[in-house]
Amino acid sequence: MTGLSSVANNRAIAPWLFSGPLLLVMGFGFIWPLLQALANSFHPNTPQGIDFTQWTLHNYSRLVDPFYGEILVRTLRISFLVTAITAVLAYPVALFIVRLTPRAQSLFILAYISPWLVNTVVKALGWTLLLRTNGVVNTVLRQFDLITVPLKLMINEIGVVIALVPGHFMFVLLPLWAALSGLDPALSWAAGTLGARPSAVFWRVLLPLTLPAFIAGLVINFIMNMTAFAIPMFLGGTRTMVASMLAYQINLISLDWPLGGSLALALLVCTLALVWAGQRAALLVVTGGRSPP
Amino acid sequence: MSLEIVGLTKAFGATRAVDGVSLSVDRGEFFTLLGPSGCGKTTLLRLVAGIYPVNTGAVRLNGRDITHTPMHRRNLAMVFQNYALFPHLNAFDNVAFGLRSRRITRSEINKRVKDALALVKLEAFADRFPAQLSGGQQQRVALARALVVRPDLLLFDEPLSNLDARLRDEMRLEIRELQRRIGITTVLVTHDIAEAFTMSDRMAVMQAGKVVQIGRADEIYRAPANRFVANFVGPTNELALSCVETVGSRRRALAAGDLSVWLPDQDSGSGRDHVRLVLRPEALRVATGETGTENQYRAEVEDVVYLGGMSECRVRVGALRLSALLPSAAAARLRPGEQVSVGWNANDGVIIGGE
Repeated sequence: MTGLSSVANNRAIAPWLFSGPLLLVMGFGFIWPLLQALANSFHPNTPQGIDFTQWTLHNYSRLVDPFYGEILVRTLRISFLVTAITAVLAYPVALFIVRLTPRAQSLFILAYISPWLVNTVVKALGWTLLLRTNGVVNTVLRQFDLITVPLKLMINEIGVVIALVPGHFMFVLLPLWAALSGLDPALSWAAGTLGARPSAVFWRVLLPLTLPAFIAGLVINFIMNMTAFAIPMFLGGTRTMVASMLAYQINLISLDWPLGGSLALALLVCTLALVWAGQRAALLVVTGGRSPP
Repeated sequence: MSLEIVGLTKAFGATRAVDGVSLSVDRGEFFTLLGPSGCGKTTLLRLVAGIYPVNTGAVRLNGRDITHTPMHRRNLAMVFQNYALFPHLNAFDNVAFGLRSRRITRSEINKRVKDALALVKLEAFADRFPAQLSGGQQQRVALARALVVRPDLLLFDEPLSNLDARLRDEMRLEIRELQRRIGITTVLVTHDIAEAFTMSDRMAVMQAGKVVQIGRADEIYRAPANRFVANFVGPTNELALSCVETVGSRRRALAAGDLSVWLPDQDSGSGRDHVRLVLRPEALRVATGETGTENQYRAEVEDVVYLGGMSECRVRVGALRLSALLPSAAAARLRPGEQVSVGWNANDGVIIGGE
């Protein structure tokens, strides 16, 4: 009897043993600082440090300032644009890769992952060499007399978008490629023999069946865009400030942690709300409100 | 002639999966491609469906050349081994899929889908998703989905191999009955001899990408074209023949070196070298007294294996081992080591070429 009950106890403990280390790290490294930031955000900042004796909503009312509002809207605009461009490009690329031989598939996947293997600061500097006024792109375009005045491709939102799209492309491509590879080819054949043209096979079979993976990828992509730092810093500059640069300034230059806390919370709520709404909307559009088990 | 395949060849790399296949299927006929795995039967079916591009040869359906027609314009339908139902659509929408690719009004679609589901006795399951249906029900949805578009040709790729044995027997008869009632030209791919024999009007036996014999089940069983077909469609006793001689209107030969046997009247293959006599186990008779057959030899019982209604009796004639299939009631009297007679009538044997 004791033997049986100890087995039962082990069964109950085992999952915690496995997930425990990560839970501890997440608890101390993420949840606790987040709660701390939340707590900080309700106290005023003074030259002597955070005054924990007083409670205030002042840090949140400061965020309504048009200066901060503009930064938040710009961050959302850039992130949304990058995710939208990625969404359009991801399916053609994934469908192309899935039809190659396994060897060619791994080569292409490696090629699309490679931007992520480069240090983001180095990558951002690399982009400046390409995009600056006398950079590679402008020089080539002028050589072929396609432009007379150099295009302004950086120190603006365009530069940030250009660099972020390939940088975060794999977050959509990888789950999508995995989902498409996992699909039974007979599903496409069944649809084809039943009279569906290739485009209809995509819209009526491939897209609905890979949509969860696609949306998961878009969500990660969007979050990565919202939190990008090095690329907006180098390609956007201080005139194109985004939320992560603002957070850096507030927390590490001004050392105003209460305001930083309110900013962090506002960003978190904003991102989660958009991700949730986007997921709902996309699922609703494709399944027409009905969901399979 | 409904389906005509002429000199069809398909290679994957260096291997010819389908190698110069020609055959034709009549309107309303149930035709089976039978063969072991890797013989090219599924590839051939996919060439007909338009899933793979053809290397050389032609496919004609009701007189029109569809060799290079994309699959969505061939007006055929296919039932896949794993059914390939769309997991995100319920049974109704799965069946309606093909109709929505055609210009058909909503009310007409509703009517036809309901009729098709009724045909496979699944009216009550229209709202269920594939994951909520049993294997047999999924099979029926796949069948309804194929039939509802009124295709010129219905293709089955090992449709019953994922079902358990009892359900498989039921579905065999049900599909056969449905196919006869609708009168649709059908091609089935299978490695299962019982499936081919119970369902098809005619069949083609395939080996290494080639069709080696086309015919009705009884023709293929009783008169196999070669050794491969003989062994593939059922258990055999093979006797190598030598010294064929003509005695009056009959012919005689030495089997397995020293056994004088009368040969069947048919003469296919007897002109060639390495001729063999093939005897089905059920053609052999075993008796303690006389067998009453043209060929009869003394033999010793080695073993009797009970198989239900029938029993397999293995006997030895000199160095030659033979397997006979007897009614169990008769076999029950035989004991290993017992001296018996074994024999067969000359025309129950088949002569085939050697290798």
